[in-house]
Amino acid sequence: MADLPSDLVVAGVAPRADEAAAAKLGGRWRGSLGVIVPAVMVAFIFGLCFIWPLIGPVPSPTGGTILDSNLAAFSSGHFLGTDAVGNDEWARLLYGGRASLEIALAVQAIGLVLGGLIGAVAAYLGGLRDATIMRLLDVVIAFPGLVLAVAIAQGLGPSKLHTIWALCFFSVPATARIARAATLRVREQTFMVAARLSGTSFPRMLLGHIAPNVVPQLLTYALLGMGIIMILEGALSFVGLGVPPPAPSWGNMIAQGQSTLSAQPRYVFLPSAALFITVVSLNLLGEGLRSRWGAQ
Amino acid sequence: MSSTSAPLSTPLAARAGWGARLAGSPTLRFIVRRLLAAIPVLLGVTFLSFVVMNSLPGDAAQELLGAQATPSEIHQLQVKLGLDQPFLTRYWDWLHNAVIGHLGHSLSSGQSVGSILVSDLPVTFELVALAFLFSLVLAVPIALLCARKPNGVTDRLSMMFSMAGLSIAPYVLALLLVFVFAVKLNVLPAIGWVPPGQSLSQNIEHLILPAVSIGLGLLCFYTRLLRADLLEQMQGEDYVVTARAKGVRPWRVLTRHALRNSLFGLITVVALNLGTLLGFTVVIEDIFGIPGIGHELLQAIDNRDVPVIEGIVFVFAVIVVLSNLAADVLYSVLDPRIRYGRPTE
Amino acid sequence: MSDAIRLSRLAAIAACLFLIAAVVSACGSSKSSSTSASSASSSSGTTSSSSSGATGTPKPGGSLTVLELGGYAGAWPTGLDPATNVNGAADQDQMNSIFGQLFQLAEGSKLVPDLANSATPSAGGKTWTIALHPGLKFSDGTPLDAAAVVSNWKRDLASPCTCKPILPPVKSITAPNPTTVQISMAAPDGAFQNQLLVANLNWIASPTALKKMGEQAFKLMPVGAGPFMVVSDTLSNTLVLKKNPSYWQSGRPYLDNLTFKATADDEAALEALQSGGAQAYDGMATPSLVSTYKSHFTTTEQPATSPYDIQLNTAAPPFNNIKARQAIYYATDGALIDQKLFGNQFQVVQGFTAPGGLFYYPNVPGYLTYDLNKAKSLVKEIGGLNVNFFTLGSPVNQNFMVALQQLWKQAGINTSIHLYSLAGLIQQFDTKTWQAALQTAGAWDPAAGVGLGFRFLSQSPFSGVHDPKLDALILGGQGVVDPSGRDKVYQQAAQYIAKNAYGPFLFPLASWNVAQHGVVGPGLTTVIPSVVVNTPPLWQSVGYTK
Repeated sequence: MADLPSDLVVAGVAPRADEAAAAKLGGRWRGSLGVIVPAVMVAFIFGLCFIWPLIGPVPSPTGGTILDSNLAAFSSGHFLGTDAVGNDEWARLLYGGRASLEIALAVQAIGLVLGGLIGAVAAYLGGLRDATIMRLLDVVIAFPGLVLAVAIAQGLGPSKLHTIWALCFFSVPATARIARAATLRVREQTFMVAARLSGTSFPRMLLGHIAPNVVPQLLTYALLGMGIIMILEGALSFVGLGVPPPAPSWGNMIAQGQSTLSAQPRYVFLPSAALFITVVSLNLLGEGLRSRWGAQ
Repeated sequence: MSSTSAPLSTPLAARAGWGARLAGSPTLRFIVRRLLAAIPVLLGVTFLSFVVMNSLPGDAAQELLGAQATPSEIHQLQVKLGLDQPFLTRYWDWLHNAVIGHLGHSLSSGQSVGSILVSDLPVTFELVALAFLFSLVLAVPIALLCARKPNGVTDRLSMMFSMAGLSIAPYVLALLLVFVFAVKLNVLPAIGWVPPGQSLSQNIEHLILPAVSIGLGLLCFYTRLLRADLLEQMQGEDYVVTARAKGVRPWRVLTRHALRNSLFGLITVVALNLGTLLGFTVVIEDIFGIPGIGHELLQAIDNRDVPVIEGIVFVFAVIVVLSNLAADVLYSVLDPRIRYGRPTE
Repeated sequence: MSDAIRLSRLAAIAACLFLIAAVVSACGSSKSSSTSASSASSSSGTTSSSSSGATGTPKPGGSLTVLELGGYAGAWPTGLDPATNVNGAADQDQMNSIFGQLFQLAEGSKLVPDLANSATPSAGGKTWTIALHPGLKFSDGTPLDAAAVVSNWKRDLASPCTCKPILPPVKSITAPNPTTVQISMAAPDGAFQNQLLVANLNWIASPTALKKMGEQAFKLMPVGAGPFMVVSDTLSNTLVLKKNPSYWQSGRPYLDNLTFKATADDEAALEALQSGGAQAYDGMATPSLVSTYKSHFTTTEQPATSPYDIQLNTAAPPFNNIKARQAIYYATDGALIDQKLFGNQFQVVQGFTAPGGLFYYPNVPGYLTYDLNKAKSLVKEIGGLNVNFFTLGSPVNQNFMVALQQLWKQAGINTSIHLYSLAGLIQQFDTKTWQAALQTAGAWDPAAGVGLGFRFLSQSPFSGVHDPKLDALILGGQGVVDPSGRDKVYQQAAQYIAKNAYGPFLFPLASWNVAQHGVVGPGLTTVIPSVVVNTPPLWQSVGYTK
């Protein structure tokens, strides 16, 4: 009943009247720039983390020797210095970004598909089946993710895959709720009723009618959520999950560097700054897309 | 909404009237239905955490005795703690005691879980309350100023800073704040907790940095939310147009009417955020050495102290379920679409 | 210009400013700490015993807050009852302050009387007679006499806790007179007095208070005869103590109030000390933070006593083959790791004893030292070597493991490294097919604490060695009363381990005790060897000099 408006508002996917109005005033060209600038920034970051190490002179992030331990910034061959066991900091920053972004992408993709399906199906089925699914999701939401994260870390051992599982725990139920709310909105519209009455099968309904109306909002939500997932990955590194060292991720670089913050501040500040810039860009992109689609 | 139309003239009708009013009110029915549904949810959560803890290597006896224990010593302690019982027996033992309010005793310290909760929950509560206070007290005036002159200087600066604030990880912020305010400037303490009974001023002083670490993100989020909601009202609602036409100044409309309506929406968001907030609180408590429920949970997991974990998980789940319910109820009551009678179900 | 673009641009500019600020502050702070370190007047290097201010006599009065590392010394989850505090060996600071000690370790590695006057062996070391100080009282007024000690010791030895010492089977514990306690064992124990230092037998609880309060309440607010009494106790977080007015040593303790607080890690402790939240820190163990600490506080390196060793499981492949074990010896360059990761601060050893402990010998005949060529040829000879290498998770261990992995790679050894929590570690040992583990071995007295036996005795579940000859040597070292006799046996043990290549030793990691300028005390600003890991200062003699 009331999951409908609150969920969409909270998730921030309900388009705001002011942004829609402003975009209308400015015309479509101006509205596009709000998307293009952050999109370029995001593309640049992705390019730097995923493509540049493959084509440019970037050493391996884990191939160092302790002979090069703790070199300062601007040393020869290591313009950001090295860590305690001799790995190049610039390489760690790039590959760490790649790891963090991969995790965030995987989590949001799984959340989108799995959460979207669960939510849409629940809303479509309605009634008792809907309520049961929602209560099961409530169990997942009410379960403290931290206990699960620490349990995974201690039971299965930390790894990129396990981190993704733990983070999906957060993203799937949230996306499911959004998808359900959006599907509910769509369900009672005339063309939907007509489709149902004419006997369209459920998968076709899903793909042909529900998805086009629901996916844009889900995508926006997924994009806005990437920043939080990346920040959560760092929090998980603090409690023992996350990417296991010596492989870098921005999260585990911050968690590791924090224990020698006074001696080597750059081990924390470099990944923190990179994380900050990335999250800002993703948030700006998400907001830009939301106001663009709201104007339509 | 409620069927107040039932006649109350006869005694029978009077009783029927009360019952009818109760049974008739959709909000009350909704609440009762959700509360009943919450029971299997709580069961599910506690069972799930039992399963998770049981699947971890080691148990309380091993953790307590440490790396130098012989297998026979470990077994001796396991029997003493009841850890040699089968899994379902242990869960049932916990469950049928928990239902009557006996949450058991910590396997490591022997303290009753109830007393642990009573001493730790207020600490976390105070931290979270201060964070909310910080964020709401600042969010309201900032949002008002922004909504007064949309796209003015204040508005654009606030939006820029709030975007930045939203994008900082709370733990990074905590490190930064400690670095600047505790180490360099020496005006605030870096760690610790002083009970309010001992010294209220010191208690608040020690909580400022942790509360801001959590509260800054909230502040940014609420500012944007409130601002957007206020603008939506100022530009969309009929009563605003009427008021303006009557000559009421925009500022008055904002603070008198729009704000009140928006605050309700904000409160529902606050309630919904409670769950994730508790998660970040754990890391912050760890960094600042605050003996709250989050810190207790981390330690209990390390010690495989299952009764304590179950107790905390139970309380967490209750808070999340209740706050979700409250948010849904509040929003359904205040959603203009429902207020003005459009059918939603 | 549209607001969205303006917004994005402003956000981008803000982000760049933030980045610049971060980089500048990062460079700035590392520069400032290095310049102030070079201008620090206190001696840098391995030991700094009598740095200025460390020899002043404290004045009575003052409150001191001491930090302890959370999860280790800053954890007392099972309370502070000697019989049940499983973390007693780590919580020595807290326990010593409340209960005092029968004997304590002082400067120069000397065992010094505290509540007890002397310990005398007889019957070849099977019987020990402890003479107590006369007229001792617990802080609740009841007498600390031999009967109290006997009831404590019986209770300690009967409880399921690893906080009790590993003694030969005990035949009797008696109190021939109010100030004498006698313990009789089935076999001689030459290390008994030293073993007291790290065991709960050293802390005597008030039996009257125990009976009156009940075990549950007592463990939270214990009563002893130490220099301080408990005011309040928040488990594993804060312990507030105040001066015990009836402490037996007149004029002590100097401090009026002593508070112990748990801290998350060495970095958090540094920040707390810098912001004035505490005045001392016991057990700082991050070598890369030492120069920063030294530039602000009196930082004293305490001699370490437990060297790191690489445990090799001789019961399973690949290390059931002595050649594989020898390859590990030849491929391990401890001195290089010491230099690169720890700034040459520690002493590479060849046995289970360390410079700070008893029976230390720097060179063990037959020990295989670093030789990359020999390592390579051995690895080729056995057809390659793949190792699963694990240890307890910690930031220091993390880097240590990676460094070893890199070194062994040069000899053609492929290593996969795993860091586990305590439970995971125990699980690994339980599998019996584990291969190699990075651990610490030995203690100030090899027969006390996390000792030698733990890693090398056949019957220990955590040992990779099952050799009755070595068992005889290890137990023999404990069974001799005369120190020079013990020394001879331990030397033989070390040589035997080297000959059979049971596991190379690296170096012991020292820890540092930190105090604000103006705070002095034995073990805090002077050097006392650590019995287990950290050196507990003698808190009754700690105080402010101004």
